[in-house]
Amino acid sequence: MDFFLLLISTGLVIGASYGLIAMGFALVYKATGVVNFAHGELVMLTAYIAFSLTQIFGLSFIPLMLVTIPISMVLGLTLERIFIRPMLGEPVFSIVMVTIGLAVILRGVTIMIWGPDPHNLTAGVTRDVIRVFGIPFYAAQLMSIAALAICTTLGWAFLRFSRIGISMRAVASHETAALLVGISVSRTHAMAWALSSGLAAVAGVLFAMNFKLAPDLWFQGLKSFPAVILGGLDSILGAAFAGVIIGLIENLSQGYIGQGLREISGFIVIIIVLMVRPYGLFGDRDIERV
Amino acid sequence: MRTGHFKESTGQLIALTDNPTTKAWVAALVVALLAAPLLLGAYELGLLVTVLIAVVGGVGLNLLTGTTGLISLGQAGFLAVGAYGNAVLMVDYGWPVWLSLPAGGVISALISLLVGIPSLRLKGLYLAITTLAFSFIVSHIILYAEPITRGPNGIFVSGAEIFGFNVQKGPPLYFLTLFVSVAVVLLALNLQRSRLGRAWLAIRDHDIAARAMGIDLTRYKLLAFMISSFIVGLAGGLISLQIRFINIDVFGLILSIEALAIIILGGLGSIAGAILGAIFLTLLPEVIRIAFNLVLEPGSSFYSTYVYEIRGVVYGFVIVAFLRFKPDGLIGLWRDSKKFWSNWPLAY
Repeated sequence: MDFFLLLISTGLVIGASYGLIAMGFALVYKATGVVNFAHGELVMLTAYIAFSLTQIFGLSFIPLMLVTIPISMVLGLTLERIFIRPMLGEPVFSIVMVTIGLAVILRGVTIMIWGPDPHNLTAGVTRDVIRVFGIPFYAAQLMSIAALAICTTLGWAFLRFSRIGISMRAVASHETAALLVGISVSRTHAMAWALSSGLAAVAGVLFAMNFKLAPDLWFQGLKSFPAVILGGLDSILGAAFAGVIIGLIENLSQGYIGQGLREISGFIVIIIVLMVRPYGLFGDRDIERV
Repeated sequence: MRTGHFKESTGQLIALTDNPTTKAWVAALVVALLAAPLLLGAYELGLLVTVLIAVVGGVGLNLLTGTTGLISLGQAGFLAVGAYGNAVLMVDYGWPVWLSLPAGGVISALISLLVGIPSLRLKGLYLAITTLAFSFIVSHIILYAEPITRGPNGIFVSGAEIFGFNVQKGPPLYFLTLFVSVAVVLLALNLQRSRLGRAWLAIRDHDIAARAMGIDLTRYKLLAFMISSFIVGLAGGLISLQIRFINIDVFGLILSIEALAIIILGGLGSIAGAILGAIFLTLLPEVIRIAFNLVLEPGSSFYSTYVYEIRGVVYGFVIVAFLRFKPDGLIGLWRDSKKFWSNWPLAY
């Protein structure tokens, strides 16, 4: 039973980080119709920026987030401005390829700046074990679960009530119609990039605190794809829940079936899900006129 | 009086070329390629072999992504299957290389059905992600299927002989890859002008419309997957012959991105483009290396420490720049310069 609880708890933790990353993917996809393959690299880059901030200023967690999130939002805006905005109106395939190109650029630059060695990012959080219903957690692990809950709630409220959130949904549902009622589509796209980079910062810092800050952090972006697909590319809340589900599936399959299944069970889930529902579990089915 | 260059029959329309100048240049290229081992040193010949392997892989991917419009981010997976298929059959089962090389391609084609069938209903981004997932699953299985693939230890590939020549180095390897790449290019060119190729183009332009016109999507999409993976599997087998030691690290994600970069740089859907792209992208690391040697002071380890990162950054910038400024790729550049040359001083 202990073994099961341990698998569940670690599954929740990794699932929370998948969920946070997947929300970033879904946010950009929802607003712009493009899968941002560079999101994993953004997660890595923002985590490294946060690491440098702690090294220089010795910030603790909350101030660190308050500084890192705006920095990464500006970063997201800049990248969108330089790489994505000029591609507006090009086929989706081209824009996606640009994000892939951007991904390898960011990956290379990050590793060249911070070097190939792994670091520890603690941000002043204790390494004490906290028991919740008898299940042992590290403080950082609880923080990442809490962060997922907070971000999901905020995200839901943002899309439901705020002016920008509503315009984002309008752009997602019909770009031209949104333009006609006076929404600035390009500004909405930029906003989506900024917010998703902010989410990337939360995800990156928490992942680095829970695990390690190493140059293979970008791979978490690809490992979150199962969550994005399971949630349906355009469902932000779906992505968050699906992240937790994928995290649990990975850990349980590793624990009970074994043989390194943790690495691929998520991808097997993708293939099965897409066979049954080609538009994801919570995604909208689009009907096409020929 | 004839006032232009007219094509009056179907045969003329789909002929590969009716232009004597093109024929002469192709003949000259063939002669040059055949004479290459006499003219080039060992290092340049090795580079040429790498280019030819990239041509095979690029043409294979181009049939799938360029012609049929199915985006694949899983090329590394198919390359790995081809390479391992060839290596295992040759080293462990003692098959002759002329049999194990195509057998690797066939295995790759069969495995492509595993990803092809589930992805029949998918298109665009969902397909790209599925193929990506597929390549991770393949490399994982290769890593854990130790009795067959030796898992993390990798396989030393040796003893490949055709007609008594060791086809793993020097001119014999070169002629083998030359033969395979010429065969593959001819195959692809002929496929593109056949019924199959036209069906693929229709699927690329609009799959639902193509279906309404009576094109069996299942059949043609699966054929595209199988033929493309067969060719990519051949490229994988050639890689295993060339580098002589394969393990799963050789077939990382960057290889899939390189493959896509090749066909994007060349110009999607064009065989000549795939060839140009392969040449460009294979020689690019050489150019980077030479450039860094010129800039850095001797003894600096910056380049050797970050060789993969530098290469990645340059690939990234090249991909982004081409997509933004020249979406038609190198072949578009070539067409433009041809037009400029013949129309000058008029703009068009």
